[in-house]
Amino acid sequence: MILYLLSTLFLILIAPLVLSLIKMIKMYLLYKQPISIFQGYRDFNKLMQKETVISKEASHITRVAPFLILSPLIIVLFLLPPLTQGAFYISFVDAFTLIGLISLSTFFLMLLGLDSASAFGGMGSSREAFISSMVEPAMVLTIFSISLMADNLGVGQAGVNLAHHFPKEHMASFLFAGISFFILLVAENGRIPVDNPETHLELTMVHEAMILDITGVYLAIVEMASGIKFIIFSTLFVSLFIPYGLEFVWYISLGIFLLKIISVAIVVALVEINMAKLRLFKVPNLLGIAIVFAFLSLITFYILGA
Amino acid sequence: MFQFDSLSKIFIFLIFLGVIPNLFYSFGYLSHIKRKTYYLIHYFAFIFSMMGVVVADNALVFLFFWELMSLSSWQLILTDPKSAETQKAGHFYFIMTHLGFIALLMFFLLISDGQLMLSFGEIKNLSSSFISPTVLFFFMLFGFLSKAGAVPLHVWLPYAHPSAPSPVSALMSGVMLKVAIYGLFRFLFEILYPWPLEWGIIVLLIGSVSSLVGVLYALSEHDIKALLANHSIENIGIILIGFGMGMIFDSLELKALSSFAFMASLFHTFNHMSFKSLLFMGAGSILHQTHTKNMEKYGGLIKAMPITAMTFLFASLSISALPPTNGFLSEWMIFQAMLGTNLLDNMTLKLVIPFAIFALALTGGLAIACFVKAYGITFLGLYRDENQENIEEVNKMMQIGMVLMSLVVASLMIFTPYFMKLFDMVFVSFGFPSIYGEIFPNGIYNMHSLGLNGGVVSPLILLGVLVGLTLLFLYVYKLFKVKERICHTWSCGYSTSPKTQYSATGFAGPIRRFFNWLYLPKEHLHKALIHNHKTKFTSSHYEVHVKLLFEKSLYDNTKVLLNTLSYWVYKLAHFEQTRYIAIIFSLMITILFGYRLVAYSFSFYTFIIQLLTTIIIFKTLVKGEKQ
Repeated sequence: MILYLLSTLFLILIAPLVLSLIKMIKMYLLYKQPISIFQGYRDFNKLMQKETVISKEASHITRVAPFLILSPLIIVLFLLPPLTQGAFYISFVDAFTLIGLISLSTFFLMLLGLDSASAFGGMGSSREAFISSMVEPAMVLTIFSISLMADNLGVGQAGVNLAHHFPKEHMASFLFAGISFFILLVAENGRIPVDNPETHLELTMVHEAMILDITGVYLAIVEMASGIKFIIFSTLFVSLFIPYGLEFVWYISLGIFLLKIISVAIVVALVEINMAKLRLFKVPNLLGIAIVFAFLSLITFYILGA
Repeated sequence: MFQFDSLSKIFIFLIFLGVIPNLFYSFGYLSHIKRKTYYLIHYFAFIFSMMGVVVADNALVFLFFWELMSLSSWQLILTDPKSAETQKAGHFYFIMTHLGFIALLMFFLLISDGQLMLSFGEIKNLSSSFISPTVLFFFMLFGFLSKAGAVPLHVWLPYAHPSAPSPVSALMSGVMLKVAIYGLFRFLFEILYPWPLEWGIIVLLIGSVSSLVGVLYALSEHDIKALLANHSIENIGIILIGFGMGMIFDSLELKALSSFAFMASLFHTFNHMSFKSLLFMGAGSILHQTHTKNMEKYGGLIKAMPITAMTFLFASLSISALPPTNGFLSEWMIFQAMLGTNLLDNMTLKLVIPFAIFALALTGGLAIACFVKAYGITFLGLYRDENQENIEEVNKMMQIGMVLMSLVVASLMIFTPYFMKLFDMVFVSFGFPSIYGEIFPNGIYNMHSLGLNGGVVSPLILLGVLVGLTLLFLYVYKLFKVKERICHTWSCGYSTSPKTQYSATGFAGPIRRFFNWLYLPKEHLHKALIHNHKTKFTSSHYEVHVKLLFEKSLYDNTKVLLNTLSYWVYKLAHFEQTRYIAIIFSLMITILFGYRLVAYSFSFYTFIIQLLTTIIIFKTLVKGEKQ
């Protein structure tokens, strides 16, 4: 139980670290002076000390939404597959609940964007609504497919099952589902090629546009939420699609977990520097690929059993 | 005459849940209505007739109350009959609902051999000897789905529901559509019971298409009540997906899964009643205050109308199927039922069901987008029209109505296990196994799916933790005493104005552009240019109108076809009196030949000879010489 709480706390703690890590790798590869890996904490600290400026046009939604963005994601953290052996986990909660909770968080994020009566916020919300509505079907199908391979719909139990019995005989559908999920990871977290987290150019921004009008503690909370969202997706990715390293002592498996997360971060960073951001209307094509792979995965599983 | 079995009782319960908050709301709304007596008579007749439909035990009583329901709701739509729009809506509704009535009448006449006074139990015995039950099924499906508003019989909903006074739209969308679903349950279970697999697939297909079409047209709508009406189509689609899954499982002899899917469908029926009524009440309150249904004029209403805004938000969360609301739970059950198909042996079904899953998931995603639009544009930001100072919260009675309805939504969320117990009793009475114990095996906290290794959700814990965590965060935030400053939204150096906000059209822009092939929109851009300068203008106006595909291609083309045909017949007949006789003669020849072919014997030679004879007779006698 303690190990469980600690590992959840660990996930919250490394959340800003991973985002800074991606940024660091990107800057390094672009021959820039890399930022410190602790930049995420510094930003958080800085924002916490600022006063909060609240828009005169905004309503109570702005005061409540940041917390409602964060708390579903915190709950999701508790429902993830275990990081180490022996860490108590909630085995039964299924993927739909997880997807639903993440959608709940996105719902309030979109409302937050519309609340301040600024054109930027509306633009961000509109684009986010577009992208996340396309993500949903791919996500459900991918989860369905992986749950068939793991013999369980519960996310926690699926992670453990996959770690104990790697589905060698279903390698093809496993890979298809993996590709699909990686695209979703990129799309849901607003990374290049779907969204560029580093720009404030109105032509390109999605996530940044929605949070343009909040400051201080609220901004710190929303930034933290986006870090946690990335950690949720990468944890799901590594424990469902790289299910390895659960059988060791807790510190070794935690180390392996950290390595896996870092490798995901590196891959994301590599994708980011090698690709341009897609036009908004090209994004559905990418998500279409994810949907097709999810279907392929299911069909291969059913027909070929491979 | 009447029966009160568990299915009837559960639907009476549903009607009561929908009607009681509506009564409060309706009395609050009464000041807005000019012909009060007229309204009240039809309002109560409407409620009474819905009750009558669900307790009727023979075809005559059923049809009587069904027709009373249609007529009273038709008159309610015409409460304020001045505008041409309302008249058109009333006309459309009248025709659609009577087409459905004809189908139902055919169904009952065929099935009971003309004895409409027989009780449904006795009809069952007669119907088992009927040669082709599929014909009956299609008549029944047409009759009920034209009322429920499934694609392609959904076209009247976006006209009829917005035109009615708001309490009535809440009743029509919330309760009357459910009475049609009751009809499906009643007559499929009681009369047409062992059904072939294909029927289930048809219902599943109709459900998937309806849910997608409904949500896509809802997204492109600016009229808030039409948006909600389109969402009713979507939700009826979701109910039908659950229903179709239940039928499929039942014909595959998977009784427990079938019962689970039917329970999901019934649960969604209840949920849709609750949140859709609440949403229509909210929309009615907004309409009451702003005097417009156009969403582009709204904005920032949360400040003036906090109760409406809160209840509307609650209902939006629920209809978008976000956890831990009741809408999520029923959609979750439907998803779980569909995931149960991985155990089937039928490979075609296994490969087809993922497409239904895809449709349902896409519907869910688009519904979230749609309700962010509906809520965000209506209640957040700045008010976009002139009469802002007149807007205030609606009167107490209407508030009570909305609060009561949100309590219904909340109770469906909190008391899910007890509702499940009720639903379980219904299906047990129709010979399904009791599965309550399997859904809630250990206490009421965890809800299990029936599929092998199915998922589990714990709605109550989720609700508690979510609310608790948010309150904790808010408390901690208060504790820190963060310094706050109120300031205008920064809009790049210009003053913040309602006009710089995103509009409803703009919000749905990306999705509309992506589904361009479906919408085929017509865009109107009007600019008042200064001295014909291309980029300088004093004012500009942009409007986009979506082409309603089903209405334009299916309904209007049918109309054109019928017109052409009747004109042709008219032209044939109206020149010489003798042609009447010629037409009757050739018609008789055709019928005799047709009878010989169908009933007596069929061979291609006789067919060709008869065809030629008919054509020659027609040509020489009817058409005559060219003038």
